[in-house]
Amino acid sequence: MKKRDELTFRKGDGIAIAAVILAALALLAFSLTAAGRGGKRVVRVYQEGELLREMPLDEDGEFLIQDRYENLIRVRDGKAAIVESSCPGEDCVHSGWISQPVRSVVCLPNRVEVRVEGVSGADDVDAVAR
Amino acid sequence: MKTKDLTTMAILTALAMALGWVERMIPLELLIPLPGVKLGLANTVTLFALYRLNWPAALLILTARCLLGALFSGNVTALAFSLCGGVLSLAAMAAAKRCRGLSVWGVSVLGAAAHNCGQILTAMLLMHSRAILGYLPYLLLIGTACGCATAAAASGVLRALRSGAAG
Repeated sequence: MKKRDELTFRKGDGIAIAAVILAALALLAFSLTAAGRGGKRVVRVYQEGELLREMPLDEDGEFLIQDRYENLIRVRDGKAAIVESSCPGEDCVHSGWISQPVRSVVCLPNRVEVRVEGVSGADDVDAVAR
Repeated sequence: MKTKDLTTMAILTALAMALGWVERMIPLELLIPLPGVKLGLANTVTLFALYRLNWPAALLILTARCLLGALFSGNVTALAFSLCGGVLSLAAMAAAKRCRGLSVWGVSVLGAAAHNCGQILTAMLLMHSRAILGYLPYLLLIGTACGCATAAAASGVLRALRSGAAG
């Protein structure tokens, strides 16, 4: 009797893969359309969910966090980024610049999140997360 | 527990940690600048253990790998991520393995997707933020590709072992 082959690609696998990709695309489309486009945008810096600082995205500025690690946050030309960090790995610095609402740069070791939000900020985020 | 099983599990744990170490030398985050993007090479071992041994063995290997990894790197935050993602992933793979229509490929991709969800869940809890959810679609897409790579590796090894040592 031939054993059920568990190693060869099957139709069910294709369905599973397609389902995951479809779910990802649906989530992506949802988060892009729900994000309030246009209007005034601000950069909000959070640490462990607590708002540390709010900066307008259309004004150049800098903000330095000195905690477990140091994060230097810079706003320039309508974009925001963590440009310097003393954290291991520096994933936050590699994340680059953000300008669209609900995009964020995260420094996990420092529990810091830099988020671009519409002025009615909290609503935008909830609309995506709901 | 038989000595042979114990030894196999110990070797697999060591192998998973070595793969994790190799993986850290591949700068994938330069190509795809998102935090938490990984190839998931060590998941090949989990997948292998799930098929060659059983799910409790896979869980033991996974836990040992995460604990030892955190011990060596000294990174406790990473422990929360790897354990939460890993356990969710293993649970999904064990469940998917029971589905008759799925082979290693589907199981691996679903495991990767569950791992991504676990990562995002941990991040949401740690950061008290729901906006991180916006990362999930990107992680899922990359995870699907990585899940296929993992499946290719695991099925290759399993097939070679099956034809070599018949039983």
